[in-house]
Amino acid sequence: MERRVVITACSAITPIGHGRDRILESLLKGISGVKPLKEDELLSRFIHSKVYGTVDYPIDYDFKRQFRKTMAPCAYYACQVAKEVLEQSGLPQDFITSGKLGVAFGSIHGSPLTQRDIYRTFFGALADKDDKAYKTIGAVDYLKSMVHTTAVNITKMFGITGRVISSGTACTTSSQSIGYGYESVKFGMQEAMLCGGADEYDTITVAVFDNLLACSTAFNDEPHRTPRPFDKLRDGLVVAEGGGAVMLEEYEFAKKRGANIIAEVIGFACNNNGGDLILPNLQGITNTLKLGLENAKINPEDVDLISAHATATKMGDIIEAQAIANVFGNNPYVVGLKGYMGHTMAACGSIETILSLYMMQEGFIAPTLNLEEVDERCAMIKHVQKIIQQPVKTIAVQNFAFGGVNTILLLRKIS
Amino acid sequence: MTRQEIEGEILSIFRREFEVENPGMDDNLREAYGFDSIDAIELLLGIEKLLGFDLTQEEKKQAMDIRTINQICDYIERIAQARAAAAGKK
Repeated sequence: MERRVVITACSAITPIGHGRDRILESLLKGISGVKPLKEDELLSRFIHSKVYGTVDYPIDYDFKRQFRKTMAPCAYYACQVAKEVLEQSGLPQDFITSGKLGVAFGSIHGSPLTQRDIYRTFFGALADKDDKAYKTIGAVDYLKSMVHTTAVNITKMFGITGRVISSGTACTTSSQSIGYGYESVKFGMQEAMLCGGADEYDTITVAVFDNLLACSTAFNDEPHRTPRPFDKLRDGLVVAEGGGAVMLEEYEFAKKRGANIIAEVIGFACNNNGGDLILPNLQGITNTLKLGLENAKINPEDVDLISAHATATKMGDIIEAQAIANVFGNNPYVVGLKGYMGHTMAACGSIETILSLYMMQEGFIAPTLNLEEVDERCAMIKHVQKIIQQPVKTIAVQNFAFGGVNTILLLRKIS
Repeated sequence: MTRQEIEGEILSIFRREFEVENPGMDDNLREAYGFDSIDAIELLLGIEKLLGFDLTQEEKKQAMDIRTINQICDYIERIAQARAAAAGKK
């Protein structure tokens, strides 16, 4: 049994704003959310990349202590966007707790801030030869830092009793959340799925990419000018924080209850390169894109817009441009949304899906921020360098991760 | 430590750590304030600080049936007396 799956609500906390209006304003005005890296008295002084996509505005959380006690910052983002999506969807309380709604949500490795506290205690105890210091590790530290902490803090807060899927596949975490949520509804396992991802401010992630020489360092004095997807001067990615959530529902169920249908998820594909865990792989990505089109039962020319993964690394952008050219030619517009905020890690698939939905709703395509001079090795596809006012019907959202994991989501406007 | 001092310390822990203001001394903490097993473990850490010594695993297990503030205070008195008695025998 294959059922149609639609998106009925979405919300994001991003470096360029929280909620639809602020995010749209940033997209339309070309405002960057990349800021100077904060001093953390641990790693920041060793890191060469001094920029970070930062959520630097206050968020009015209203979580009771019984929920807060197991929540790290990534779970705050997750629960806030989940709350907004539940409210926006209008799903009744008895449905939310019925078991017919599941959650697919993740972060790249739980809460690194909590893990940092644990290690600080542990190594401090070793250094001080203090046998009792380990006792100060909190009873809830595991619950705050486990890889599915975002998903189960959501289920706890809202009493959700359906299935839980918690991918922890780095940069494809939340595109997998949406993809596996889509499959759960499509094949009748759940009537609805709350899907997304979140990651908190964390310099460990920056240090990892910095050591791999994958981080941007040339724009430390002008953070807003990086990352630069597909640009000749791009010099690497910018790590960022944030959270995004979408509500997926079975089409007939959503229609019957009069839900506001934003778009339909018409396809999803995920594969692996079957080899190197870091290097981008043209064949692997090309296969992903073809599998996605096959799954959606559409042709390449049906796609109007591609939200590229485009992290602004030297090789990643070239390989992605080649794969797009292989499969789509130069027909669809291609935008690299990370130009606005950097790489929100586990959240990027959901945030880029949500931004794509906003553009679909508003009938415009935002340019790739900081794409001033297209690298000739990426020039074979149709880049967006200024705002294009045009209806968008079908969108492909592409994401790729360490470990050789590739995903594509296909979204279509409901006419 | 007098019973009154123990009560004052425990109420202070509840206010500071668990955001529970002026609980009834015989309120069921789980039912009234959502006090759960995670909170109980955190409370035991607070009790160890209050008593100035580590609780044994056996002593901690005795705390798992506690439901009210009064029972917490009884528990602390009982542990303190048992330890004092054990120390007196040595």
